[in-house]
Amino acid sequence: MDPKPTRRPGELAFTIFLAAASLGLLWSAYGIAGFEALSSPGAVPMATTAIMVVSALVVLFETLRRPAGRIQTLRRDILPPAVIVTIAMIALYALLLRPLGFIPTSLLFLTAMIWFLSRRGLLFCLGVAFGTVLLIWLIFRMVFSVLMPPGIVPEGRIVAFLMSLF
Amino acid sequence: MRTFLGGVIAALTMAATPVLADYPEREIQGIIQWGAGGSTDVVSRAVTPHAEEVLGQRVIMQNVTGGVGAIGLNQAERAAADGYTLLFGAENPLLYKVMGLGQKDYSDFIPINVLARGVPIIVTRPDAPFDTFPELIAYIEENPGELRFGSTGPGGLPSVVTAMINEKTPIDVTAVPYDGDGPALTALQGGAVDVMPAVLGAAIEAIRAGNLKPIAIFDEERVPQLPDTPAITETNPEFADLLPWGPFFGIFVKQGTPDDVVAKLTEAFQAGAQNPDFLALMDGRGFRMLSLSGAEAQDFLDTWQRQTAWILHDAEIAKNSPEEFGIERP
Amino acid sequence: MDILPNLLMPLTHLDLLALIAAGTFAGIYVGAIPGLSVTMAVSILISFTFSWDVYPALALMIGIYMGGVYGGSRTAILLNIPGAPSAIATALDGFPLAQKGRAGEAIGIVTVVSFIGGFIGIFALAGLAPVLSDFALRFQPRDFMLLAIMGILLVGSLSGGSLTKGVFAGALGIGIGAVGMDPLTVQDRFVFGLDELRGGISFVAVMIGMFGVSEALMQLHNVHTPAVRQKIDGIVPSWAKVRKHLPLGLQSSAIGTVVGALPGTGGDIASLMAYDQAKRVTRNPETPFGEGAVEGLVAPEAANNAAVGGAFIPMMTLGIPGDAVTAIMIGALFIHGLNPGPMLMIEQPNMFWFIVGSLALANCFMLLFGLTGIRLFVKVVELPRTILLPVILVLSIVGAYAINNSLTDVYWMLGFGVLGYFMRLYGYPLAPVILGVILSRLLDDNWRRAIISTREDFGAMLMGIFTSPLSLTLLLAVVMILVTNSPWWARWRGR
Repeated sequence: MDPKPTRRPGELAFTIFLAAASLGLLWSAYGIAGFEALSSPGAVPMATTAIMVVSALVVLFETLRRPAGRIQTLRRDILPPAVIVTIAMIALYALLLRPLGFIPTSLLFLTAMIWFLSRRGLLFCLGVAFGTVLLIWLIFRMVFSVLMPPGIVPEGRIVAFLMSLF
Repeated sequence: MRTFLGGVIAALTMAATPVLADYPEREIQGIIQWGAGGSTDVVSRAVTPHAEEVLGQRVIMQNVTGGVGAIGLNQAERAAADGYTLLFGAENPLLYKVMGLGQKDYSDFIPINVLARGVPIIVTRPDAPFDTFPELIAYIEENPGELRFGSTGPGGLPSVVTAMINEKTPIDVTAVPYDGDGPALTALQGGAVDVMPAVLGAAIEAIRAGNLKPIAIFDEERVPQLPDTPAITETNPEFADLLPWGPFFGIFVKQGTPDDVVAKLTEAFQAGAQNPDFLALMDGRGFRMLSLSGAEAQDFLDTWQRQTAWILHDAEIAKNSPEEFGIERP
Repeated sequence: MDILPNLLMPLTHLDLLALIAAGTFAGIYVGAIPGLSVTMAVSILISFTFSWDVYPALALMIGIYMGGVYGGSRTAILLNIPGAPSAIATALDGFPLAQKGRAGEAIGIVTVVSFIGGFIGIFALAGLAPVLSDFALRFQPRDFMLLAIMGILLVGSLSGGSLTKGVFAGALGIGIGAVGMDPLTVQDRFVFGLDELRGGISFVAVMIGMFGVSEALMQLHNVHTPAVRQKIDGIVPSWAKVRKHLPLGLQSSAIGTVVGALPGTGGDIASLMAYDQAKRVTRNPETPFGEGAVEGLVAPEAANNAAVGGAFIPMMTLGIPGDAVTAIMIGALFIHGLNPGPMLMIEQPNMFWFIVGSLALANCFMLLFGLTGIRLFVKVVELPRTILLPVILVLSIVGAYAINNSLTDVYWMLGFGVLGYFMRLYGYPLAPVILGVILSRLLDDNWRRAIISTREDFGAMLMGIFTSPLSLTLLLAVVMILVTNSPWWARWRGR
């Protein structure tokens, strides 16, 4: 069926993970209300997680039948350093967002990411980061009143001051 | 440009050394427990601009929805008790503890203003074979299990009203749950349910158009919007001890907020609640204005909680006994 | 009755005209930026326009609504990040086109069919509102359930390579949609004792993660290959091209109008259904679906803009919102001292015709603004990826945060981004996940309502389906879709 006759690096592990997670979810769905009634809040979750388990097992079976590929490697084709670094950076961003605030965190994230990817001059990266953050802040904070975590920046006072200018 | 920079620097230094300035010195965040377009949302957004005039600052309104309002309540509770985060909520949090939905409720907040109360009404389709509440009860007794009552889930207004009816005369009906009274009333007009205890404001326009038939106002007296619909106590005086009862809207700040801030907010929302435009809006939607604050508001909340929690407990809808939380039987 | 003056009111008053134009223009950007939604913009406008007269306030909201629904297609085509859920289907064929350097052409045809779809919706509102709202009211829980099943079957056409993986993805989506406290029973589902999960997983966070973040991660593999040069000719589609796609556009608009008019379903479901329908009726697309078929753009975009007019139908005739945005507009009417309900059309018909006129005007502005800015927009894709990708990521994070002002949504977005990345690598289709999330509540809630209504009697529910003409038609449609998707059908057709 599948056009690729070999399996990719990590594919087997991922499929096993999905099958195991589906089983866990099925168990959790059973815990909602058991087989109490057709109209129980657990009925549809149980049906869908059961489908997940069955389809994951079918996929697992298909994956097992295919031989492991030899050309691709995990490091180059599945998880190159750039991807790992980016995921870590986003997680770090989310962690720092509340204590540090939106503006400093985004400046740091953008500068670091652009520098990491493009290896251009630090000043250039900082400039692009600053421009982007300013634009996003103006649109989200000033126009749409989305309150991002202020953190160490006294945003409320800055806005109050900006308002007082007009 | 120089004044601008100066301002920014001043703002930065002000942040470093917190000074006691006159409240409010910056924008206030308002958390609405319910989704955009719902009753709580409309009422909150309608009263706030009038209060803003008194406060002299903008109140930025955000809908933080989910978990029958618990998500929004918890978010407001996590914020600092400085009066810069307001909670716009409905009656639901008073039932969180007995319904097992969370450990926080309005006892973690100070009521700024309990704005208004909704009046429950029992409605049905125009072609239904009953016109009054006694006829409805008689029909149910002759056809047990046949009628479908619209519901909004355990703890919602329809479930409480149905529990109250059950307390007086046990009725055998099927409760079909919907996401809110809007969708349930739509289902009623489409024939998916037969009877619906709803809040007057949600049903009034459909009643005026003749798409729905009012059975009884679930209150002690008739309402001016529907002068011909009897109050339930006229036909069934036994309900008098449970009434008046109804959902309400209020504005709250976290417990521990400084007194002067509470006073300022109370003043602002009292003024807002007296605005003629707002009063006209509330009247049009069939709400009874309360505008309670201070001890009066707290009394209202306590009474409401005691009464409703025990009704739900007696109807075996509540998960936990009110006693566990020190809620006395009324 | 003086229909014409009210219909033309937005055109004759310069301030209203300007507000509709500004609203439509802003709406396109609101729609295009993931995380900024029309719902959000319109509810902010309630406070903003509080002291205004009701007409200018509505004019601005209508502009935002029309522009916003269309704007979602922009980022879907250019970056594979649907700006709004109703643009998911647009990304399936729009993004492959952009990768071939034909983004301008894609946006051009999308703009024109959105305009056509918009007008079909408006015509239906103006001429058929009472009929269609009466029809929409007739939908019983079992009918909504059948409709949801019909939607779920789209997994077949959204799956591409492996149907098993598609089924898994669709079921996963339905499961994600069930997370949180069940509003019908206040029972926790898949909450695992976490308070943050009580409110459920915001499906915009899932969408931004699965499409935006995982796409950005994929592109990191070849971050230094230069971006595809975009052709800048042929942006405004020729009349011949429009005429070729007109039948499909009209068909999709009809789907959009009806699904939009049903309370509880909107442009998101309509566009996916139209996409599926397009796949079924298009015999020989120039490019296969999923690789840049123009038909795959025409159908969802005509449908979601037609759903705008559709959503106003129950709102204007019954005071029942057709979707989240019209729900807020009903609130706005209340605040401005009107009582939207069945009597509104009788007591204030001028309001109805004013709304029809404003929608029509907003639709024209959408065409105008949509076709003029394309060249600039397309340049975005030509930015070096080393700069574009970090900016997309920040926008995704801000967008996820802005949905509900919650960091939890940011973590979900990241989690689903990573999951989506692996799913892409190993050949799992992602669109069924979103489809599942969108349809989860519709299916689950209405299944339970239907079975509760018959007191747990499955046989009685089936009887109900067979004795109602509407339910029976829907059931036949479900069976038809099943049969036409089966391998036996393909063999039979092949003979």
